[in-house]
Amino acid sequence: MHKIQSFPEYQVPGAQHQDFSPYESNGGSIVAIAGEDYVVIAADTRLSSGYTIHTRKQNKLFQLSEKTVLGSTGCWCDTLALTSLVNARMQMYEHLHLKTMSTEAVAQMLSILMYNRRFFPYYVSNVLAGLDSEGKGVVYSYDPIGHCERTTYRAGGSAGTLLQPVLDNQIGGKDRDVKNKPKVPLEKAKEVAKDAFISAAERDIYTGDSVILKVITKDGITEEEVQLRKD
Amino acid sequence: MNMELVRNVPKGGFNFDNCKRNEMLLSSGFQHPKTVKTGTTIAGIIFKDGVILGADTRATEGPIVSDKNCSKIHYLAKNMYCCGAGTAADTEMTTDLIASQLEMHRLNTGRQVPVVAANTLLKQFLFRYQGHISAALVLGGVDKTGSYIYCIHPHGSTDKLPYATMGSGSLAAMSVFESRWKPDMTEEEGKLLVRDAIAAGVFNDLGSGSNIDLCVIRKDSVDYLRNYELANLKGKRHGDYRFKPGTTELVGKEEIIEVVPFEAFHKKLYGDETAEAMEVGA
Amino acid sequence: MFLTRAEYDRGVNTFSPEGRLFQVEYAIEAIKLGSTAIGICTSSGVVLAAEKRSTSELMVSSSVEKIVQVDRHIGCVTSGLTADARTLIDRARVECQNYWFIYNEPMPIESCAQAVSAMAIQFGDSSDGGSAMSRPFGVAMLFAGINEGVPQLWHMDPSGTYVRYGAKAIGSGSEGAQQTLKDEYHKDMSLQEATKLAMSILKQVMEEKLESKNVEVLVMKPNEDFRMFSKEEVEREINAL
Repeated sequence: MHKIQSFPEYQVPGAQHQDFSPYESNGGSIVAIAGEDYVVIAADTRLSSGYTIHTRKQNKLFQLSEKTVLGSTGCWCDTLALTSLVNARMQMYEHLHLKTMSTEAVAQMLSILMYNRRFFPYYVSNVLAGLDSEGKGVVYSYDPIGHCERTTYRAGGSAGTLLQPVLDNQIGGKDRDVKNKPKVPLEKAKEVAKDAFISAAERDIYTGDSVILKVITKDGITEEEVQLRKD
Repeated sequence: MNMELVRNVPKGGFNFDNCKRNEMLLSSGFQHPKTVKTGTTIAGIIFKDGVILGADTRATEGPIVSDKNCSKIHYLAKNMYCCGAGTAADTEMTTDLIASQLEMHRLNTGRQVPVVAANTLLKQFLFRYQGHISAALVLGGVDKTGSYIYCIHPHGSTDKLPYATMGSGSLAAMSVFESRWKPDMTEEEGKLLVRDAIAAGVFNDLGSGSNIDLCVIRKDSVDYLRNYELANLKGKRHGDYRFKPGTTELVGKEEIIEVVPFEAFHKKLYGDETAEAMEVGA
Repeated sequence: MFLTRAEYDRGVNTFSPEGRLFQVEYAIEAIKLGSTAIGICTSSGVVLAAEKRSTSELMVSSSVEKIVQVDRHIGCVTSGLTADARTLIDRARVECQNYWFIYNEPMPIESCAQAVSAMAIQFGDSSDGGSAMSRPFGVAMLFAGINEGVPQLWHMDPSGTYVRYGAKAIGSGSEGAQQTLKDEYHKDMSLQEATKLAMSILKQVMEEKLESKNVEVLVMKPNEDFRMFSKEEVEREINAL
């Protein structure tokens, strides 16, 4: 990008150049772990910018349907814009096609909505968790411009880079004896998700206050909250 | 005999050799490595019998907490301590340097150094570096003329105040002082006030956190209250994350270790060419 | 007061005093000039069978496409004005691809019929841009497809009405064919029986002799992609009648 300073012959005396910065990072982390017949998704509740905390109780998990929950962090205003668009599109889909969108369909649509803003992206880190059409747990993760990857576990947001290796080891069985890797039971997944946040709050200044954890199974969605450190 | 070694011993003072090079690197897109910042809450007040200094214990590198229990109240002299905010290395080096000068001064004059002398030394030192030494300090001490709190900014300006705060949590801490500080507080009142001011920074400023350190300086005694309060306990994890021996699978057998003599190793990498030949080739 | 019917059958946006849109009704009439097509839905699949009229001995019959693929899971047969049909089929294909692109799953058959119906009734929207058709499409369509593992048959006519059917006939022989379907069709029919029924009805209502070159057959089954009957398969069906 060329700034006006690069072209001195066009500079006007007295004119001041102002850079517009449309994005803000509001912090927050997400962890999602999928199992055979469940999926766990958790996000902390701290909303901040710079060195200030806006609120200590901001839920970052958006329930899109009985089987799908979206975790979204990054630029909070973009998260709000994107999730309301997703909700509107899901409502339109329900009216038009007379059924609720499957997790797979939401995953693909989300990717397209984000790529639609390829050159002025939604500055968000999204992790989508849900049960697929066969009832299996599934996690989709995204980059801000719509790259979508189907996985079984993912950490995203401000402490995403800190937590992903923990999940790789504890859930993915990386650097372990993989031959007899056991399937992850729900209780273990919940435990790892909570512990991951407890550890993230130790080292990431944008993660803390509390963590909200949602568990999706065929019987519905349950929610619990665990307190984190507040400093 | 040791000329080669002696030549590499640096002279005193800062070394500016790489400034031009760094400027060039920066203009071609190189990013500076991050320095440890103590995005901090530090504070000090005057009370009836002396001064109380306070500080949090978090050090950060960008968004990451690099030290959960660092010490930000530095020793200057027996009757003086100094809280530091800004770049960790700058606050530590500056206070250490001035501490040594103050000790020299005490030895030369044979009497207790007044707080104003420390203030002058610090401000003159910082002014000389035009703000490039990012140390924001709260200096507190007691001498035979009274109790003093000085606020010292990185460019060298100073304020003499009855209560002062510094660092990224200074506003949070100052809000406590502004509402509750009064002259001639008792030690207990004062400690509670400083504790509350630092706690305000710890909980409301993301650059500050962990524990609260206090330092009470009276006319002829000092209480350095390291970790006066553990404001934040480490979260308790549910799982056990220790690994049993043998968790990581051994891929090969014992024979994988092969001792290769250096000559053969070099030959394997570079063939028969000598190092000189390589340079010509490159 | 009402002079003739002709007063009210010019504009596509003008109701007659009895509340009828003559142009649409005429368009429905146009279908009855088209060749016959039959669709039968069973629990194990849908069958489409269509007559291919050859107007000349010199015509290459294989170049006439009556049954077309809309998506991997949807087949379609049309009756009426062939050129109009192409326009609607193109729209159906685009809608299916777009749905797949956005949601990464096959389009429901009903949604496909609805999307095409939305285009079919655009003839009235002369005010927005003028790109809309100036008359109704003279086409009826049968969509045969697999919807979430379930075979479905949908019918759409020039008024844009789309309805799901167990069995439906369109085109010139549709009246007689529909009567036979009403008598013969039952829900528990096997796919083989349905195919045989469709072929035998076609044989009855067609003016020409039923041959492999003047009939097309499509059978859609769950877990199978669109595939038309080959010449040999059609002949086997004809011989089995």
